[in-house]
Amino acid sequence: MRLLASFEWSFIWENRGVFLDGLWKTLQVSLIGIAGALGLGVVLGAARAHRIPVVSQVAAIYVEVIRNTPILVQVFFVYFGLSEPPFNIRLPAFTAAWLMLVIWGGAFNTENFRAGFEAVPGRYREAGSALGFSRLATFLNVTLPIGGRIAIPSSINTSISVLKNSALIGPAISLPELTYQAYSLESVSFRATEIYFTLALVYLAVVWALSVLIRALEARLALPEARRVRTRRQQRLQEAA
Amino acid sequence: MAPCPGTRHGLFGRAAKVWRLEAVSRAPILDFRRAVSFDRPAIHGEAGLPKDTLETSAALAPEVREPTAGVPVVRADAIRKSFGDNVVLDDVDLTVDAGEVLVVIGPSGSGKSTLLRCINLLEPVDSGRIFFEGREITASGVKVNQVRQQIGIVFQQFNLFPHLNVIDNLTVAARRVRKIPRATAEVRALELLRRVGLEEKARQYPHQLSGGQQQRVAIARALMMEPHVMLFDEVTSALDPELVGEVLIVMRDLARSGMTMIIVTHEMQFARDVGDILIFIDEGRIVEQGKPVDVLDQPKQERTRRFLRRSLQLAESLQELTVEEVESDEEGGKE
Repeated sequence: MRLLASFEWSFIWENRGVFLDGLWKTLQVSLIGIAGALGLGVVLGAARAHRIPVVSQVAAIYVEVIRNTPILVQVFFVYFGLSEPPFNIRLPAFTAAWLMLVIWGGAFNTENFRAGFEAVPGRYREAGSALGFSRLATFLNVTLPIGGRIAIPSSINTSISVLKNSALIGPAISLPELTYQAYSLESVSFRATEIYFTLALVYLAVVWALSVLIRALEARLALPEARRVRTRRQQRLQEAA
Repeated sequence: MAPCPGTRHGLFGRAAKVWRLEAVSRAPILDFRRAVSFDRPAIHGEAGLPKDTLETSAALAPEVREPTAGVPVVRADAIRKSFGDNVVLDDVDLTVDAGEVLVVIGPSGSGKSTLLRCINLLEPVDSGRIFFEGREITASGVKVNQVRQQIGIVFQQFNLFPHLNVIDNLTVAARRVRKIPRATAEVRALELLRRVGLEEKARQYPHQLSGGQQQRVAIARALMMEPHVMLFDEVTSALDPELVGEVLIVMRDLARSGMTMIIVTHEMQFARDVGDILIFIDEGRIVEQGKPVDVLDQPKQERTRRFLRRSLQLAESLQELTVEEVESDEEGGKE
C-alpha cells in the first residue's frame, strides 16, 4: 500500500504529450511497415509458390537471412552499416525504421503467403486456365483470393510482431517512437515503474485493438463456407444462452 | 452378346430414374447457343441496357459464330502422351464434326481424361497434332488462352471457385478476360442459369448447392465463354445417384441444341441415347468405335466385349449382394 502510494501517477498525466507523440510515431512506422510487409510478402510468396526462376531463389535467401539473424543486428546494419563507404546511404531514422519493418515482416509474410498459395487446390487453378485465364489472371482471380485467405491468420501474427518490433528499432536508432520517448523520459525523471507500466498498458491496448480490427476483417474475408461455420457456431451459442 | 434389357436398368435403378425424369422435361428443347449469345439484340433489349453497352459487347463477340462447314471442330492426329514410363495415350486419332456428340468409354486409367485434357491444352502432347476448326493448336505460337475460351470443359469435381457466388463464378472470366461489362455479362449469366434451372441460386455460394446443382452451374460457367465444343470429363461420377439425372438432362438438351460435345462417361444408357459416335479406349488406344448402339450391343473386339460384360457382371453381382452374402468380388470395387 505504501509502495503504491509512493507512485506519482499524476506524473504520467502531466507528461501525456510525450507518450502521445511517441504513440503517433509508432503507429506511423508500424502501419507503413505492416502494409509494406503484406505487399512484399504477397509478391515474393507468389514468386516462391510459382517457382519463378531467379526471383524465387533470391527470395529464399532473403527469407533465410532475415529469419536467422536478430532484428537488432539488421537494423544496425541498415542504419549505421549502410551509412559508411562503400555504400554511403544515410537514411533518416524514420525511413530506416519503416524500411526495416517492411524488410523484416516481408520475409515472414513471404513464407505465410507461399504456404497459403501452395494450399490452393490445383483444380481451381485448372478451372481458371480452362476459362482462358492467363497465368497472371489465374493468380489474381483464383490463387490470390483463395490462398490469401488461407494465409490471413499467420500474416496477422506477423503484422502484430511488426508493430511490437518497432519498440526495438526506435531506441536503437533514436527514432522518437513510443518506447524511445518513454526511455528518454525515464532517463531524466527516474520514474521507471510508472513509465514502463504505462508503456506496457499502451502497447497492450494498441495491439489488442489492432487484433480485434484485423480479426473483424478476417471474418469478413473468410471463405463463404468458413463464414457459415462461424455463424452457425454463433447461432448455437445464442441458443444456448 | 447383346445385353439383356432387364439388367441394363438394374444397377441402383439409376438409368430408370434418368428416363423417368426425361419424360417430365421433354417438352421444351433448349437452344443454348442461339438463345444466349452476347450479340443477340433481343436480350439486351429486354434488359433495357444502354446502347453503348450493346455495341461494345457486339464488337467484342467472336467474329465467326458458326464453325466453318465441312471442317471438323476437333481432329486429333496420332497423339501420344506418357507420364514417365506410363504410356497414357498411344497413337490416338479422332474426328468430331460440328454438332456431333462423341462419347468416350473405357476402364479407369485408360487415358480418357488425359485425352480431354490434351484437347483443351491442359496437358501438352508428346507427339501428334490436334486441330481445332482446321487450325493446329498444338503448333508453337498458338495463343493457348484464346483457344481454351472456345473449348469449354467441365470437370468431375465441378471446381467452382469457392470464394465467388454462383453468378460471379459465371461472369468472372467474361469480365476479366474478355472485358465485358458486368451488367452485360450478368444478363447472359442469368439466362444460362435459367436454362440449367438454377436462376434462383444466382446469389448463393457453391457450398450451399448440391453436387448436381454445382455441376449444372459448372456447365453454365463453361458455356459463358461461348465455346464451339464442350468437353465433359466424367461429370456425373462424383455425384450421388439421385443427382445424376438432372445433370444428364442438361447435357442432353445441350446436345440437342446442336452443341459439339466430347463426353467421357460411365453412363452407358446416356451414351446410347445421346452419342453420335462411341469410342472404346483401353490402355491408351482406341480399341473400337462406331455408332453407340452397334458398339454397345454388338462389340466386335474381345476387349470391348470383356469391358461391357464386366460392367454387366458388376450389376448382377451387386444385385446378388443385396439378396445374399457373396464372396469378395475384386471387380466390385471399380466401376
